[in-house]
Amino acid sequence: MPEHLLASLLIALIGGIVDLDSTATWQFMISQPIVAAPLTGLFLGNLYGEAAAGLKLGLMVGVILQLVWIEQLPLGMNVPPDAALASVLSVALGFISGHSYESYSEREVCYTVALLLAVALGLLGRSLDMFVRRLNTNLDTWVCQKVEDNSLWAIAVGHTLGGFFTFTKAFIFCFLVVWLGVEPLKYFTQTLSFKHGSGFIVVQGLLPAVGFAVLASMVLKDRDEIRYFIGAVVMFTLLPAKIFLAFIAAGIVMYRAHKGVKK
Amino acid sequence: MRTLPRTLLARIAFRSFFLQASWNYRGMMSMGFLYAIRPGIDQLHSPGPAREAAYLRHLEYFNTNPYFSSVVMGVTLALEERLSRGEIGEEVIHDTKEGLMTACAAIGDGLFWDSWRPFVATVALVFALGNFLLTPLIFLALYNLPHLYFRFAGIFWGYREGTHVIRSLRQFQFPQIRQTLRLGTMVLLAYLIPNHVNVHTPFLLTNLPLEYFYFGEKVVQGFGALLLVTLGTFAYRARVDVLLISFLLMIFALVLYHWGILI
Repeated sequence: MPEHLLASLLIALIGGIVDLDSTATWQFMISQPIVAAPLTGLFLGNLYGEAAAGLKLGLMVGVILQLVWIEQLPLGMNVPPDAALASVLSVALGFISGHSYESYSEREVCYTVALLLAVALGLLGRSLDMFVRRLNTNLDTWVCQKVEDNSLWAIAVGHTLGGFFTFTKAFIFCFLVVWLGVEPLKYFTQTLSFKHGSGFIVVQGLLPAVGFAVLASMVLKDRDEIRYFIGAVVMFTLLPAKIFLAFIAAGIVMYRAHKGVKK
Repeated sequence: MRTLPRTLLARIAFRSFFLQASWNYRGMMSMGFLYAIRPGIDQLHSPGPAREAAYLRHLEYFNTNPYFSSVVMGVTLALEERLSRGEIGEEVIHDTKEGLMTACAAIGDGLFWDSWRPFVATVALVFALGNFLLTPLIFLALYNLPHLYFRFAGIFWGYREGTHVIRSLRQFQFPQIRQTLRLGTMVLLAYLIPNHVNVHTPFLLTNLPLEYFYFGEKVVQGFGALLLVTLGTFAYRARVDVLLISFLLMIFALVLYHWGILI
């Protein structure tokens, strides 16, 4: 089987499973970009004999998409952009198209362009999600009629069909995007001059700021907190960038907050 | 006297993983709810009109937080049991289920979507941006501890305590937990901003003596990142779409790169 076809099928399968997790079943959060993207990178990298590179790309994509869509919640009628499919497709398109390039910067450009494209695909994924929900509404009416007619088998069949629609939607969507999308993406990145291409690496480095802004909007509630927050940012600017310092500080603040609240 | 065995309740909790497989715009999670509790209904009502009526009763609109759905399932089964003994009427089940699903949605959405997921995601981001390859596993393990706890314990609480279950849930002090998680997220975010938004400018290389370069670079990166995040936060709070903010940042970065201000 040609490698590209195999890769497209693999991504379609991962996309189907991950999309099931996003709302339909389990909700273990495999569908969160910080998990879905590295998972895709690992499997795809393994297929091309570069598992570590795939995993690293997955982490980079996962971080950015997790941040950009961190406040999107599947509450009630609200259907958020399909971050799971965007993560899977961003890694797949970036990795496969970047695989053919030798230089670091050309690969990075592929990764960034694929990431930007995947954000648009995430929005398209939302529309497909809404389409599946409309199909499920018809299914629900059918099941209600069957139960009224005492055909109780329809409950399990109807419910399973709902999950099947979700999986099939993601499978076909991912397969088509990877199967047809790699070559146009390669062509597009080749048309970018090296100077503009390197600019995309700068963009990649700045993009987390958007997600941090969204997160800051979510967690900062009043002026006092904003003052403490700026103080903490200044402190971490001056301190060495060590992960354990962040967790010690977070632990102290959480412990004090918990005790204070109890009082 | 309780008639449903613990193994059956555990089975129903397991079936609740598939609650949203057929999510739709009419009954929302109704089909999934009936699918999950069906083994309990079958045990409580003998075949015939009573069982059929129970099926139809639970095909009515249902929507709650998926992780707390098992609490509602437990209470519903306790009430179905009382109905089968003729102690209560159908309307009690309907009213209790409606009230409880709203309460569980408020508790669960606030805890999981609004606090726990952003907190765990921020912990994972700290690891991911530190190039820690096992980040997805940390995210999944941490996130799913309370998820699985509420999913499996919830059905036993609900079934044992019936309509008094809300009193037991109150002992968790969810608002306090949310406040603590929010502050923890804030501290970790304060660590991420100066360390993981890449603001690099060539001016430092040419203007600063080498011994001060590292410190100067860190200060410029920290304050540059804080400025970007502040602007992003203002834009987001002014209801500018996050994708538009990302797009504007991309243009801004490419222009500054073109002028040689950013590298």
